[in-house]
Amino acid sequence: MTIGIPRALIYWKRPQFWESFFEDLGFRVLLSPETNKELVEAGVRVSDPENCFSTKVFFGHLLWLDGKVDWVFVPRLKTNAEKLEYCPKFFALPDLSKILVRTPILTETFNEKKEPLEGTLAKLGRKIGREKREVKRAREKAFLKEKDEEREKRENFFRKIEEKTTKITLVSHPYNFYDDYVNLRVKEKLEKLGAQTIFIEETPVNETINQRSKVQDKDYPKFHWEFGKEWMEKIDAILDYNITGAIEISSFQCGCDAVLKEFVEKKFKQNSIPFLYLLIDEQTGEAGLQTRLEAFIDTLR
Amino acid sequence: MKKTIITFARWGNYTIAFKTIFDQLGLEVIPPEPTNPTTIAEGAKISPEMYCFPLKTTLGNVLPGLRKGANTVFMVQNIGGSCRQRYYGAIQKKVLEENGHQVNFLDFRATPRDIYRTIKKISGASSWQIIRAARFFFKKLRLIEKIEKKAQFYRPREIKKGTTDQVLTESLTELEKLNKEKDFPRLRKEILKSFSEIETEKDKKIPRVALVGEIYTVCDPTINFDLESKLGKEGIEVHREMDITYHLKKLVFPWKDWTIQRKINPYLRSTVGGHGRDAIYEMLHYVKEDFDGIIHLLPFGCMPEVTVRPILEKIHLESGIPFLSLSLDEQVAEAGINTRLEAFIDVVRNHYNSKQ
Repeated sequence: MTIGIPRALIYWKRPQFWESFFEDLGFRVLLSPETNKELVEAGVRVSDPENCFSTKVFFGHLLWLDGKVDWVFVPRLKTNAEKLEYCPKFFALPDLSKILVRTPILTETFNEKKEPLEGTLAKLGRKIGREKREVKRAREKAFLKEKDEEREKRENFFRKIEEKTTKITLVSHPYNFYDDYVNLRVKEKLEKLGAQTIFIEETPVNETINQRSKVQDKDYPKFHWEFGKEWMEKIDAILDYNITGAIEISSFQCGCDAVLKEFVEKKFKQNSIPFLYLLIDEQTGEAGLQTRLEAFIDTLR
Repeated sequence: MKKTIITFARWGNYTIAFKTIFDQLGLEVIPPEPTNPTTIAEGAKISPEMYCFPLKTTLGNVLPGLRKGANTVFMVQNIGGSCRQRYYGAIQKKVLEENGHQVNFLDFRATPRDIYRTIKKISGASSWQIIRAARFFFKKLRLIEKIEKKAQFYRPREIKKGTTDQVLTESLTELEKLNKEKDFPRLRKEILKSFSEIETEKDKKIPRVALVGEIYTVCDPTINFDLESKLGKEGIEVHREMDITYHLKKLVFPWKDWTIQRKINPYLRSTVGGHGRDAIYEMLHYVKEDFDGIIHLLPFGCMPEVTVRPILEKIHLESGIPFLSLSLDEQVAEAGINTRLEAFIDVVRNHYNSKQ
């Protein structure tokens, strides 16, 4: 039995976890290839023209998997462990996928407001004919792998922060940051220009600062999106580390980013850190991006 | 302390009812400017580019009032679920402050308790006064919704074209002037009488079209280029379920949501925020009722409606009902909408005739 996982959107929320989880349960896992031009074009063709670019990329990956696997895994992510919501476009992904592909969709609702993650995973295991015991073992193994990754990220962060170069924070969703085709290799380009990139998610949040900011900080509303709260807290944390500039990358027609951009921009401007806002979509040209990045790096010096 | 002068976001004909609350409590209020190309351009100029259309228009409606001296803005929060409407207050406050307006922004949640507290704080009125104002508000609101429904029915059947629109406008003006609750029953009688006096062709069989979609664009005739009137004049009966009473009922009685979810289970198994689920539910309902066309209205890039649109298109393909989706924003011109509407009306007529 093969389970296909589209390498877009939801996959990047937990890159190691799902692969490890299903492989441990004795399934073959087929990941769709890294994003390329054909995938994006296929996705753009089938999806609603007003949908956000990231969703279009996701549908491209989904179509690639169609017919190649027994199941396509598209979870319905609703709320996370902190009881904060994911993007509303995630809520309907399994239903929209059902319209597009003929391969059966393997899905389960991850709503931690109502049910802890363990319970949902056990349900998912029952759907694919695995016992609770096996699911538990697979889950713990996958969590361990995730933890290793996190530790590595943290060490990486402190190594990067100590280097004495231009340090630029990239504020973005994981599915825009890790997908090199989607963000037009922004990391590579910045490194060639002599700047070090730090992804906002890598920043460790200091718990004490966090608690203090809960009381006094009121220049942004209480976000009900998990990434909204995470970004704001992490931006607060990274401001202590003496960074040179900040770039926000958001995909075209991302509704949540339209809200968040206002507050992210305000935060950096208050601390007089140069800020660049980049919009990406299926028509963004690499040359235009290169020029803007070069100009931005010049302003930092 | 400076005197409180209130202005608030406009919402179609219901603005009249909202204004009553403040009038009844003795607060000074500058009604928002009716939406027109100037206010839309003004609002779009200062608001975030990627934000959805209603934020820009409501901001544009409020700006003229602020220039006339208003210093307090009312904005309700959370139309429902995971929609961006939740942050309208925060964003509009930020935008207005950046543009040099010092305003007291009252951003409250749409729960009866929160609304009550905000009004009490700003007006200092007694509970009894607030309850009376609310009662008058609901009376006016119900009448506005009733005459809107009546107009939808009379427009395609009237003998002299344009009578219904004239009666509707006159009634709304009269209603706006009305300040005493005592006189309300008399005015209500008059308005309903003037509607019944419209000469119509009885027993005329005509095609029916339903409006579904995002509540703000569906309900506000100034935003959707008076779609109801245009369709009515072409001899098409327009139906819509979306109005404020529908929305308030859903807020107060949650089981309406459960019914909706049960009905749409084959298509969508989760909420998507806003009125995404309702659009599917309504479309299924109208297909069952054998309507001749569905028009889906949404602001450009509205998250819930864009998410459900592929599902609506699927229902359209399955049932064969004519379907038109119009996304509105500050760059849409009336001529473009008219052309698409004319073509759609032809499709609707063909569909209707082929059924006979």
